[in-house]
Amino acid sequence: MANKPYGPKYFVPVVAGKAVRAVAKIRGGGSAFPGYVTTRLAPNFLRDVTSQFRYGIVYVLGSNGKSTTTHMLTEVLRGHGLTVFTNPSGANLPQGIASSILAESSVFGRLKADIGVLEVDEAFALEFAAVVPPATVLVLNTQVDQLYRFYETERVADMMLDTAERASAHIVTNREDPYLSKIARRYAAGDATRPDITYFGATEAVIAAAPHGLFNAKDYRDAHITLEPHVARAELVGTDRAGATIDVAGQVIDVILPAKGLHYGIDAAAALATASVILGEDFSGESAAKAFAAMKPAYGRGELLQFGEEQVEFVMFKNAASLQLNLDALPEPPEQVLLAIDEGTPDISWIYDIDFAALDHVDVITGAKAWQIALRLEHEGIRIGTVEPDLKKAIDIMKGLPKPSSGLKTWIVNYEIMMLARKQIGFLELENQR
Amino acid sequence: MSALSILQLYPDELGVAGDRGNVMAVRERLQRSGHEVTIVEHVAGNKLPGAADLVVVGNGPLSAMRNVHADLLASADTLRGYVASGVPLFAYGSGAELFGHGITQLDGSVMDGIEILPFSAERIQTRTVGYVLTETKFGGLVGFEDNASAWHLDRPADALGVLLEGGGNSDGNAEGVLFGSLIGTQIGGPVLPLNPLLTDAIIGFMAANSGFDYAPSAELLDLDRYAEQARDVIVSHAKHVFSRI
Repeated sequence: MANKPYGPKYFVPVVAGKAVRAVAKIRGGGSAFPGYVTTRLAPNFLRDVTSQFRYGIVYVLGSNGKSTTTHMLTEVLRGHGLTVFTNPSGANLPQGIASSILAESSVFGRLKADIGVLEVDEAFALEFAAVVPPATVLVLNTQVDQLYRFYETERVADMMLDTAERASAHIVTNREDPYLSKIARRYAAGDATRPDITYFGATEAVIAAAPHGLFNAKDYRDAHITLEPHVARAELVGTDRAGATIDVAGQVIDVILPAKGLHYGIDAAAALATASVILGEDFSGESAAKAFAAMKPAYGRGELLQFGEEQVEFVMFKNAASLQLNLDALPEPPEQVLLAIDEGTPDISWIYDIDFAALDHVDVITGAKAWQIALRLEHEGIRIGTVEPDLKKAIDIMKGLPKPSSGLKTWIVNYEIMMLARKQIGFLELENQR
Repeated sequence: MSALSILQLYPDELGVAGDRGNVMAVRERLQRSGHEVTIVEHVAGNKLPGAADLVVVGNGPLSAMRNVHADLLASADTLRGYVASGVPLFAYGSGAELFGHGITQLDGSVMDGIEILPFSAERIQTRTVGYVLTETKFGGLVGFEDNASAWHLDRPADALGVLLEGGGNSDGNAEGVLFGSLIGTQIGGPVLPLNPLLTDAIIGFMAANSGFDYAPSAELLDLDRYAEQARDVIVSHAKHVFSRI
């Protein structure tokens, strides 16, 4: 049958793509190209494969927290017995997603899963929605991010809001976000095409207790630059060192978070709101809490790695919001700190908008932008040990420092340095190879 | 002597590119050289102070510019009064554009400026992103630029400097505008922490106008050393890392 979403028609395109993938793997790279080959040979391949999922596809979008929340939602759904297809964290561009779908699919284009949870880069999400239409779109937050790439924050907000409108069933978004909380305004009253809209959020008290709140961007184009109030289906009502308490439609759930901080708490609320709206009656707070308890941190997000006799805690940031929220989450100034930024973050002018009060000193500053960071910290009077732009030498200096009483060294790094530093200390796999 | 005051305009709206860093650089150099400094943040809706020793304004998106526009027009007379009494200005990015004749947007509409700096801004399709190097009468400046804006200077207004690397005003080899002790630039980074020579020149303008003596103290050695190292890296990366993205 010509209109079946799988079958012999996919044999040649899928085998071709898989062959390219096998060759690329041996050569050590090219993870996006195989998806390109298959989708060129069979343009409807991705739509057909993903249309076989009972609950359809979920997109996870946002300035920060995509990988973490995708991971949380995937594990919560698995905890309810679902088979979940998901893209490896960080592989969030269309060709990379296509390649990961290809890798899991049979040669006849079948992929046995109940649901797909995909982290998607916000700049490509709308275009990708035409190829793989989402049933559910979860939009996490709009924060000032990569202005050299996005120019204006409101453009990013619109990319995400436009994509959310493509959801056939559910939109789940952040009540505490000035741009996102206004999504219902995009629909006329009584518009029957409107997907249902669900909000997650945090209580005022929880947000007020954090030194810089949630760091969401203000909506300057609206007369009302802050958020629009709504009832949240999942509300973060408390956080502590290990976990968070989230009220999901009246059911209070205590979860253990894979890493510390208010931002992880609100990501958990986002994952729970989404799971609960997708699963409906089948959602169980107990299953969700069990899934959180078994969860490991997403790659580099609060991960602990062995470093000789000691452990390294990786705190990774991509922009001002993620750095500030991670600093705010430190329970006390870390004993031994490495701070690093390289040219993977081209514009770091925002480091002057960051409050570094959570650090009382930094032992080693490294990366190509090391001197710029030192200059910033000197303006704040924060004590600096060594500035060593060469990462390998900087790691040796960290190794040579006496063992901290906690046994823990804290490395606060941008994404590219995290990849390099992991490699340096013997953790060889790249993010999208997990 | 009473504290020197730095007036920063609209720090939330026009402050997305580390603009607090420019204020901080002036403050640190003055404080470490023995001067007391207060920072006054002007928020839309509030009344401007009667006097200031330096006015600083920074960069923000178009939506934020529209948001503060009415307040800026209402404050224009007070700001012109400062300038008439010799108060220096340091303006970066779209904040500087609002101090010029105005901004022509891509759809042809014009957002009026307050006519203090002698130039007009035009939003253009091409975006310039990357490290920028400029030669000025205060010395060589380095920084990071990220804009899609051409600045057309009035004749015979002076540019702040001559470009060595980067896009600058997107109008010949000029970067920024210099009008007495008023400075407008599209060099970010932020520019003042990275370029102590320019910061000292601005403090020199303040000293001349407000009547105090300024001599950079030995307490500035670490700041200067880190700035110099950061500048060296930027100069060596400017040519081959990325001049455009």
